[in-house]
Amino acid sequence: MMASAPPITQTAAEPAPPLVVSPLPRVRLGWRVFLFYSSAVLLTGLVSMLFADLLWRTGWSLSGVALLCLFVALFFLIALGCMHGVFGFFLRLAYDRRLTNLRDYRAQTIRGVSTALVFPIHNEAVPRVCEGLRATYESLEKAGCLEGFDFYILSDSTDPDKWVEEERRWFELVHGLDALGRVYYRRRVNNEGKKSGNIRDFLSTWGPRYRYFVVFDADSVMRGETLVDLVKLMETHPQVGMVQTVPALVNAGSLFGRIQQFANRLYAPIFITGLNFWAQAFGNYWGHNAIIRTEPFMQHCDLPQLPGRKPFGGQILSHDFVEAALLLRANWEIWMAYDLEGSYEEAPQSMVENARRDRRWCQGNLQHFMVLWARGLRGLSRLHMALGILGYLASPLWLFFLLTFDWMLWYEGHTGLSKITVHAFTPFLSVSATEHAFLIFVICLAVLFLPKVLALVDLAFDKERRRAFGGLANAAGGAVAETAFSALHAPLQMLWHSKFVAATLLASGVQWGPPKRTADGIAWSEAVRQHWAHTVVGLIWGVAIWRLDQPTFWWFTPVMAGMVVSIPLSVFTSRASLGQQARQTGLFLTPEETSPPPELAALRARMAVLEEEGQTSPRAPDSGLADVVLDPYVNAIHVSLLREKRQNPAYARALLDLGAGQPRVRALCEKLLAEGPSELRREEKLLIMSDADQLPWLHRQAWLRPSATLARWWQSQIREYAR
Amino acid sequence: MSAAAKTDGPGQLAGRPLEEWNGAYSKVESYFHALRVLNKVLLGQLVALVLERAMQRSASEPLRSATELAVEEMDRLVNDWFAQVLQAPPAATEMLSTRGRMALLLADMPGRWQDQFLRPGPWPEEFVIAMRDGFLRAGPNFQLAQMTPRPLDLGPIATLTHWSTLPYVKMAVTWGAFGLLLVLIFYFTHQ
Repeated sequence: MMASAPPITQTAAEPAPPLVVSPLPRVRLGWRVFLFYSSAVLLTGLVSMLFADLLWRTGWSLSGVALLCLFVALFFLIALGCMHGVFGFFLRLAYDRRLTNLRDYRAQTIRGVSTALVFPIHNEAVPRVCEGLRATYESLEKAGCLEGFDFYILSDSTDPDKWVEEERRWFELVHGLDALGRVYYRRRVNNEGKKSGNIRDFLSTWGPRYRYFVVFDADSVMRGETLVDLVKLMETHPQVGMVQTVPALVNAGSLFGRIQQFANRLYAPIFITGLNFWAQAFGNYWGHNAIIRTEPFMQHCDLPQLPGRKPFGGQILSHDFVEAALLLRANWEIWMAYDLEGSYEEAPQSMVENARRDRRWCQGNLQHFMVLWARGLRGLSRLHMALGILGYLASPLWLFFLLTFDWMLWYEGHTGLSKITVHAFTPFLSVSATEHAFLIFVICLAVLFLPKVLALVDLAFDKERRRAFGGLANAAGGAVAETAFSALHAPLQMLWHSKFVAATLLASGVQWGPPKRTADGIAWSEAVRQHWAHTVVGLIWGVAIWRLDQPTFWWFTPVMAGMVVSIPLSVFTSRASLGQQARQTGLFLTPEETSPPPELAALRARMAVLEEEGQTSPRAPDSGLADVVLDPYVNAIHVSLLREKRQNPAYARALLDLGAGQPRVRALCEKLLAEGPSELRREEKLLIMSDADQLPWLHRQAWLRPSATLARWWQSQIREYAR
Repeated sequence: MSAAAKTDGPGQLAGRPLEEWNGAYSKVESYFHALRVLNKVLLGQLVALVLERAMQRSASEPLRSATELAVEEMDRLVNDWFAQVLQAPPAATEMLSTRGRMALLLADMPGRWQDQFLRPGPWPEEFVIAMRDGFLRAGPNFQLAQMTPRPLDLGPIATLTHWSTLPYVKMAVTWGAFGLLLVLIFYFTHQ
């Protein structure tokens, strides 16, 4: 594997630290996969037989066969979820912490090992990004291990105002931490390849300097000791190409956010332990909060363009799964360090924002269908990708299941045929058809909820964790409330995901800008805009079933209820005030809330100060442009960074391609001064801001020219400095 | 104030109305505010220094406004001072200005050295070192490398990607789906 021609061609400068890598032969762990998935198949088979028997009792039909097929597929998915919980629960009872305890890695020295912590961002909330980085930096400093780590903010922002704010806040951060030469900032000239292209650009520019790099999300925070542990793990196990941590959801304020956070913290341990049982050293990558060995990643994980057109062709959107598959294909191991604490991320704070994120993920996951059949991939990689695809396909399958059932109901009523049931196929099951159906319903519920019950039992066995969740009673109350909310939320997810899948397959985009918010959550107008169709579908569907068959209506109420109440549900669950009230009553408490780790406490304290100072509020349009032209320091920082960028041949070429340095830019600058930014398109503003020669000129002219020759907008901006 | 100012009549300064100089004062003061010169005494001194230089030019350039003259003088004063402190070789004004402002920021002029700003030398050694050695680096030395995509054989599925390029394929699929729907309706209503 390593003997093949390495595609890295180092072209300049400093020697990279020596790498010691020892790839292993392919490891087989078929029995684990067989045992795990066979358990799910067995359970699915038995319950499907019961379901088929029920259909047989009322007579076979084509729609019955379709219903059975959909049932089998859907039940298999919930059986898989259940098995993750069951396996995880028993493994945790047996104290299985296999992978990360193979060797005593904590004694390993990491002196001389260089690691880059990279924060790829794209038009994010800049104060939060910088404060997250600061929390991680200070935690590492406190751990006394800052020496081997460099920090990079890798910006792909396309909003001119965000660009300027990033530079300004980066400098303030560096100045405040005295971290010049340790915390770096780089903005790409173009966004080729999106996030994976951003990482690739970092690796192409500085990659060989670092033995490892840790990818952060814009809202990630990691504890210093955890980062050090990750590096030690990698140093101790040279066959490992990546270690993915399991980030805990934190810092939620809204009711929705706190429910998701609680579910993540309570259920994730048993699920991830179950996942780790069959994945072992063939884990997956979730795109952030993971440490990656630089050289093999650079050798094997540059993503190809997929043939064909969008949505399946072109650039790979959800790059993480594919990068993991490519690393595994090259015989590198991927571990999931689920027993390492101190890895955090944040979650969407409302149902609408959650769906917005799902829209992106749905397209990316469905695109994996193309990669699923690629030659040379490991079977486990295919499994990871298939599970990701099925996670989204489950929604339309469930919708089809319900519609097929409705069709059968309508058909029965339409034809006027009476229900003549026969005895069950299984002679010992002497129950009526209704009881038979109820039995299947109960089994489905049990399979769905068993992992949650097991998570609570798991909690009951662990005194420390129990206390961290505010006690068993509080946790149980939270689990019941979370389950009730999930029951209402699931039908909405079904409708949303079905729409996303359909839109992806038809290659039509779903336009989705940032949702309108009030200070306390999603605005009512936004909720109506996003959910009116859900409400209408719920009402029409409910009335239709009521008219078809009233007893069946009551079976459908959980599905209909979520749709009908979707508007108030969306508004109220997005409210921070309700989240706070729930917290005061002890509902949905998580360990990070009951005893906040220092890094999170520091982050929250700083964010509170920034909010109080109004620094997190959105600024007026073009405020960044005003800063970069008028503020002597912001202008100097911006121009210095642009000049430095020109030292890199790739960036210099990209700037030239963009048009920087051409006479046209001066004409645009004149227009900007005379007519104001509202007369320029965003691309034109970006072009001006990319020209290191024009910006100092613009700064001088804005201050030197008589006010009468400047647009009124500039005059008012200059007056701001008089205060 | 300058000698020129002393010869003015009432309501005038250096041959121009007081209001005009007031506008010039505001603009110069705004720029020094932007440079975070926040000490009011120092700020007043610096603005007065600039205005005095502008007033000296006032009589010889009657067609230009007081504000224009003042900001020009301010620009010249600041750049000359940057050139002296940084011992900068002759360079384009914009280049020197950018370097000087960056040096002011890195030396923490607004926090530590407001009293040294625009003051003639000699300056404290620490200040001079901070100004001359300050250098903003957004990243370490480049260590360029090239990542090249490895070929990925997508297997039989790659063939499917060409189907969508066939002419009228979407229309054919739509018609097929419609036909299937008719078949289903017929089947279920004729049993």
